Amino acid sequence: MTVRKRRKITFVTASVYALLLLAAASWLSIFSFEKASLTTLFSEQNLLHTGKFFKGLFGIGEENPAFFSKESWENAFNLTVETLIMSVMATGFATIAAFLTVVPAARNVADGSLTLAKKWHGWISFGIIRGGYIFSRAVPELVWAMIIIFIFKPGILPGAIALALHNFGILGKLCAEVIEDLETRPVRNLASSGASRVQILLYGVLPAALPRFLTYILYRWEVIMRTTIVVGFVGAGGLGQQFKLSMSFFHYTDITLLLVFYLILVFAADFISEKARYLIK
Amino acid sequence: MDKSWFTFDLHKRKILTMILLLVFILSLFSVEWNSNLIHSGGFETAKQIFVALFQPDLSTDILLLAVEASWSTLSYATAGMSLAIFIAFIFGIPASGVLAENAKTKRIMRSFFRGHLGFMRAIHELVWAWLFVASIGLSPFAAIFALAIPYGGILGRIFADMLEDVPREPILALEAAGASRLQTLWYGYLPMVRTSIISYAMYRFECAVRSSAIMSFVGIGGLGYQIHLSLDDLHYNEVWTFVFFLIFLVIIIDAWSNQLRKRLVR
Amino acid sequence: MPEIISLNQISKTYERKIALSSLSFSVNKGESIALIGPSGAGKTTLLNIMASILTPDEGEIFIDGSPLSDFKDQRKRAKKIGVIRQQFDLVGELPVIHNVLAGRLSDWGVFKSLLSFLIPQDKQYAVKALERVGLMDKLYDRTSILSGGEQQRVALARLLVQNPEIILADEPVASLDPARAEDILDLLANIAVEEKQTLMASLHSVEYAKKYFDRIIALKNGEIFFDLPAASVTDAHIASLYKLKEQA
Repeated sequence: MTVRKRRKITFVTASVYALLLLAAASWLSIFSFEKASLTTLFSEQNLLHTGKFFKGLFGIGEENPAFFSKESWENAFNLTVETLIMSVMATGFATIAAFLTVVPAARNVADGSLTLAKKWHGWISFGIIRGGYIFSRAVPELVWAMIIIFIFKPGILPGAIALALHNFGILGKLCAEVIEDLETRPVRNLASSGASRVQILLYGVLPAALPRFLTYILYRWEVIMRTTIVVGFVGAGGLGQQFKLSMSFFHYTDITLLLVFYLILVFAADFISEKARYLIK
Repeated sequence: MDKSWFTFDLHKRKILTMILLLVFILSLFSVEWNSNLIHSGGFETAKQIFVALFQPDLSTDILLLAVEASWSTLSYATAGMSLAIFIAFIFGIPASGVLAENAKTKRIMRSFFRGHLGFMRAIHELVWAWLFVASIGLSPFAAIFALAIPYGGILGRIFADMLEDVPREPILALEAAGASRLQTLWYGYLPMVRTSIISYAMYRFECAVRSSAIMSFVGIGGLGYQIHLSLDDLHYNEVWTFVFFLIFLVIIIDAWSNQLRKRLVR
Repeated sequence: MPEIISLNQISKTYERKIALSSLSFSVNKGESIALIGPSGAGKTTLLNIMASILTPDEGEIFIDGSPLSDFKDQRKRAKKIGVIRQQFDLVGELPVIHNVLAGRLSDWGVFKSLLSFLIPQDKQYAVKALERVGLMDKLYDRTSILSGGEQQRVALARLLVQNPEIILADEPVASLDPARAEDILDLLANIAVEEKQTLMASLHSVEYAKKYFDRIIALKNGEIFFDLPAASVTDAHIASLYKLKEQA
């Protein structure tokens, strides 16, 4: 239909123009209002500073860089284990919270088309849970961590909770979409062979959705692993906390060591999760 | 094959689920579960924060400040994303190996550029931000570069994957018509991946806004910086005002990119 | 033979289109009935109403003398009425044995159904049913890797385990090739006779309807076009049923 096609083009082109305008305005405001300029960025003083910083990272000209201290290695290793535990806990908390809420959050459960049973509160619980998901994922992990640290003492638990609070919304939304995309016929047929709601969930929904749930959980674990360092900055334990301390004490070689361990952790998580996902395919 | 109830293939998902569950339960033992986990008066603080959620500070000063901070956050995110797209092109095209003349250069190019992309995205944007602030000082560019590098890494990876998945037939037809490598890229590969790359970049734009907000932590302005300041002053009502502005910004971008993607895919 | 199903003036309308108009007929216990008719004649609507998936706009249905609304409870209904459709009705990710044992779910509590994932419960039912349909060797295969005909046999096995008094089959062989289709219909008809079940199936093929069923009900435009014993349906009947326009 021509009318429809014209509307489609106008929306897309308008969006492209709006994006270009937004980009131009952003750069303009950064250059003019915030007085940022590239020339001062590459001033002699800055270059000297940068050079010093990178030399510091590699321990050039330092008396006893962290690479040669057994203590630093041990410390970094322990923090790595702590960070790993934090990421697992965060993923677990987020998964539990998402699983407890995901069923009413699926559109086809709310309108009763999946289970052939309509409840009056279907849309109310759908709205509340979906709203909660949006709220939870719109707030970044770091902001959650800043708030949580007011309540919990520094350690890996507040970090795990902050990471879980953000990922709960993401996992919930992804898993609800999995349920919405499910083939409805097998589920309805279970209903007609006399299965109860719990049994439908166990035999119809879970087997079909679980592989995709697992894929998403593993994928979120990779992302959480990358973010553990960030929540550490505000005192939520792990490599991040030490990173911040070393930064404030200008122990640059310690930072290099921590970054190396962090990178190993991130790549290991990517590798494990990829293998595990391959296994469930 | 002899099939029985004990075959691995039948149970591999269950086994994986059990292993994941076990790892999670084991991780719980590393925390000492007692009242020492919470600050004295932690519950009181939690209550105050929760109550403040329903009474955000809506005074004119704060609202103006929030609008200004939102614009900083949005402008850093946009600038960072535009740079990230640039990086994605520079690294993504060689990383896909579609320009390579023969199998050997293709392999070398792929592993070289993919390795770089992997490194760029492995380090979190905030860590980049910190490294930049430590080396070039507090400047909006520290935030923009810190956003552009990891986002360029992930966009470049996806971009390279998309180029590799392009159906071969149209490309072969172009080559048969005498197109050079660069021409096949320009007339074959890029038009074919255009919509997918735009929709993926739009999806990442939403994440970039959130990341840009937390750049504040290393001292760069924006919504996160205001949240940080208000938290330090224990003004929880202001905290939620800024958080709501952030949520609003994220939802708007999310809705926009959803609409755009829906129309592009069709 | 006692009457088991009785339909009284059933009507159903979808936004202006009449799917069924004042349909009435009754079925005796143990009968096997084929529903035929052109596409859109209302066969699927009729079966869905009888399976309580749809509710009629007007009219009543009696099962064993009591109205269908008495069977609101899915567990109770599953004992009376079983449904089989195309093979897409199975949970593809589960092994065959669980799909078959799903026929027992109406007898199981939550705990037993959970336990059954680890150690299959009431396994002898599944074994017997799969032997009956000739799929004993596929007991632990993942259902999605079976062929269309095999999946339909699994669905039959589930029905055997569920053992309802009435079987409603909606195009049970629609996506199968002729050899497999005959195979499945043969099994279905035999099972119904052996278990003394009442069978009602919608079919595209008149040939199969005459070969495997006692009675044929033809629907056209939501009304009964004819309702005859299979043996007395003639080619003339069929020709006028599928004619595009009457008196054309």
